[in-house]
Amino acid sequence: MRVLCARHPHLGLIAALRRYPELRGEPVILGGAPELRLPVVAASAAAQAAGVCIGQPLRQAQQCCPAAVFVPLDPAGIDTLRAAVCTELHRLSPTVEAGDEEAFGDLSGRHAEFPDEAAWASALARGLRGVLDVEIAVGVAGSRFVARLAARASHPGRIRRIRTGDEARFLAPLPLDVLPVDPAVTARLAAFGLDCLGAVASLGPADLQRQFGSDGLRLHRLARGEDGAGILPAPAQRVWSERLVLEGATGDLETLLRGVRQCATTLGVRLAAETLAAGEVSVAFELEEAAAISTSGVPAAPPGNAGELWTAALGLLGELQPPAPVAAVRVGVTRLAPAAGRQADLLRPGDGAREAVVATAERLRSRFGAATVRRPRLALDPGDLPERRFTWEVPVVAGSTR
Amino acid sequence: MSDSLSAALATLRSRYGPQALRRGGSPEEAGAWPTAVPVLDDVLTSGGLPRGRVTVLAAAGRGPSGRLTLLQSLVALASRSHGTGYVDLAGSLDPGFLADLGADLDACLVISPGPERWERGLVMARSLVSAGMPWVGIALGWEQPRPGLWEHALAALAEAVAKRGAVCVIATPAPAAAPLRHASSLTLVCAPAGWQRANGDVSGLRVRLTTAKSKLGAPGAEATVLLRYPRPYAAAEVLGLPSVVVPRLQPVVVPVPDVVGVSAARG
Repeated sequence: MRVLCARHPHLGLIAALRRYPELRGEPVILGGAPELRLPVVAASAAAQAAGVCIGQPLRQAQQCCPAAVFVPLDPAGIDTLRAAVCTELHRLSPTVEAGDEEAFGDLSGRHAEFPDEAAWASALARGLRGVLDVEIAVGVAGSRFVARLAARASHPGRIRRIRTGDEARFLAPLPLDVLPVDPAVTARLAAFGLDCLGAVASLGPADLQRQFGSDGLRLHRLARGEDGAGILPAPAQRVWSERLVLEGATGDLETLLRGVRQCATTLGVRLAAETLAAGEVSVAFELEEAAAISTSGVPAAPPGNAGELWTAALGLLGELQPPAPVAAVRVGVTRLAPAAGRQADLLRPGDGAREAVVATAERLRSRFGAATVRRPRLALDPGDLPERRFTWEVPVVAGSTR
Repeated sequence: MSDSLSAALATLRSRYGPQALRRGGSPEEAGAWPTAVPVLDDVLTSGGLPRGRVTVLAAAGRGPSGRLTLLQSLVALASRSHGTGYVDLAGSLDPGFLADLGADLDACLVISPGPERWERGLVMARSLVSAGMPWVGIALGWEQPRPGLWEHALAALAEAVAKRGAVCVIATPAPAAAPLRHASSLTLVCAPAGWQRANGDVSGLRVRLTTAKSKLGAPGAEATVLLRYPRPYAAAEVLGLPSVVVPRLQPVVVPVPDVVGVSAARG
């Protein structure tokens, strides 16, 4: 596998600079007003040069850089930029992942348009630069961890490629604090006299496992660049909605019921045609000269046809008390998944019942809380306390990306 | 048929309608899930716990009765062959003990709805059974909410269990609630018969099991099992003890060819 990692300024900072272009080159701190007891989320190069660090309190950042401009986070702007980054990466890569400061793309295999990997990576970097309008540091390697470090070792506008087999040599001189492990583990490694990843990689896996348990094996793989972690694509969130504009705003309950039923029926027919079921249902009333009100919920059983969706929407209607006449109603469904137990299951790989149980468990967690449905697992290093004999984990279908 | 009986039947039919008297059938048929514990499979039940029915392990009184250990042993046994769900309304599950019982933890889902959330726990169990979970165990706690809050959820669970042919075992403290007694197709009452000791240590609990209710056969069978706790290098197990075994009663043959039951029809 080959992974491309592109490092760029925080998407919130880019969104803020697009909104206030006059701040380009100025010290800008992202996180909110300095009076708030919040940490610094991101800072421009000028602010960082003045001593502002990510994570420090905003008030402290103000003392470091009194001339800085404080801007709040703009979640909508960040989501828009992230979607644009994903779209651009998807043009040239089959699997992509976009974070706040990093984006990953899959460069495994060959691309018909490019003669080699370097040209392919250059095209991706150029595309990202065009979307974000900033210079990007790019790293390409055989795993996520090494690609991320290669991007850190690169410079804006440059690509650092680590050839297959050269990972251990690239990692060897790097300090221990680049390892994504508990700082206590790093401190213990340092106490053993190990000062770089090469020293850790030279130890045997059995020695590391003896000292650190399962973390030791992970350390060994990381230090050799064999972590094997790839790209974690965010699941596509499909949202379907149906909106009905009423003939004149009204507060009549019967009219609203008919409107919601019509929307639910249309959506339900569409769900049944696609053999999908909705994990979450929402109902919204758009009010005349007032903000819309909405409610959503996770139904007991995921609705997959008109009747089931109407029942779910009807259950939500009681929570909506419109304070003004309603101009339009909207019914939405999200977290769409293949409807378990229907004909389409025959076409899916794997054990349909098992997948249905796991999907049900996920839905129950959404409805009743994350700690309500879990799977116990025996701990590898149990220690002396009975409660350390096991850990809890969220059940997933083997081979799935959830 | 004697004249007096014929007259009585005619009176009942004329008073309550022709459907008031019906021919009684043989005990209902249900598939069985063998537990691999001979006492349970052969003496107390017919081949194992019934599929598509609700089985209740009821404590005979306050104090330890062994019902939760027995339930967890059955969950452990079931997890070796297919997925199982354990609804922990008692709040007493130790997954380490489940592992000691030989459970395949990868096949176990633990549902923790919170104490006294019987309705939520039963709803979650029903959802999992409807999704295809073939075996579900429910451990009820001492604090019993008002039956009106959860009896509908229990009825829905029983319906889902019947529809999917799943095995559902509910462990309840004494006294068992009325909706639970009604929904149960097989009720085994667990009464402690003393600690099993070895070399001065407690090595297990002897439990006397009695079939208090059975829609699948005649009730009344009794047997004693030993719930042996896990030892070093050995898993826990359920053993049938060579105690006095009371066999199941044979169904009574009524010498009336066409009438053995009276329905609940009311005039």
